[in-house]
Amino acid sequence: MLLRGSGEFELRGVMDTTIDSGIEHGRLLGQLVDSTISRRWEDVASIREECIEALGPQETVDAIAVTSAFNGITRIADATGIPLDAGPAEATASMRSQLAIDDFEYREKSRKYDQVDA
Amino acid sequence: MEANVFENCEYPIRQATVDAFAEVWRRLGESGPFWTGRDHMAMIREARQSFECELCRRRLEALSPNAVDGEHETVTDLSPVAVDVIHRIRTDPARMSRSVFENALANGMTDSEYIELIGVVATSVVIDTLHQGLGLPVPETLEGSDDPPTGQTEPEVVEDGAWVRLAPRDGQLNEVGIPRQANIIRAMGLVPLVIELFFTVMRQAYYITNLPISISRSQAEFIAARVSALNQCFY
Repeated sequence: MLLRGSGEFELRGVMDTTIDSGIEHGRLLGQLVDSTISRRWEDVASIREECIEALGPQETVDAIAVTSAFNGITRIADATGIPLDAGPAEATASMRSQLAIDDFEYREKSRKYDQVDA
Repeated sequence: MEANVFENCEYPIRQATVDAFAEVWRRLGESGPFWTGRDHMAMIREARQSFECELCRRRLEALSPNAVDGEHETVTDLSPVAVDVIHRIRTDPARMSRSVFENALANGMTDSEYIELIGVVATSVVIDTLHQGLGLPVPETLEGSDDPPTGQTEPEVVEDGAWVRLAPRDGQLNEVGIPRQANIIRAMGLVPLVIELFFTVMRQAYYITNLPISISRSQAEFIAARVSALNQCFY
């Protein structure tokens, strides 16, 4: 919801790198996020330098800082099974359905993974 | 022992961030309400070790992590159930499910102990990821205090649709119309200390208004959305 509220953008570009998200340097930022979250540190090193060239050093540090912050906070949500807050739940219903985000809902995940035991 | 964070960093880290991370790292070495400082540091070592764990690797390759049984490769004396929660939340957060939480409770962990553990690991994920993303070694773990857990005044919590009991709503909205006491904050309501520690590092990079950073709100939200999608975080 905050992404939609932050300006014009193409939602599908969040995950599909072939689509222009409309975010300035979105492709490069996406690559930085992907390599950081997948812990490909050699790739991170080269993309980091590209980012410094394109965005600037402070901006690059900040982009990695936001990535790091959300790498932590997503784990709190994933470990506690919290529901969406009421306002965002209502405002994003159509978008969640469009992007199949509801498949990630914690009851759905638990139904999917908890039925298979070793 | 002094907390050494961002040592020899060649990139411009704000002093406020260095100070906040150093302070939180130091406090993680202190005993919390339900675990000792030594335990906290063991949790962080275990989270780092999880990427070397063969069981975690096999689970990642399986259709469901619960289809693969075995023992974790551990580097601490934390209980097997604590190690299991830590390894899962560090290596495979996308497939955390209610049974992981319920299994922890069934094996003697209290919900408050679970939340303190999650808060410590999540905080260390932020700190480690930023260091590694900047090409720096992760901070050396501290010895950690052996003082017994401090206990705490029982916080007010409610059942409200999550696996864990949450801090109560305060009914207030923030500047952008989202509940001021969002569920992500309420999620750790059982242990207010870890709310404070986690959000002290989180707020160095992200806040709902007046972002303390140099990239645009759109860029920050784009990054947030992409990380959340990669980690398959519904919230």
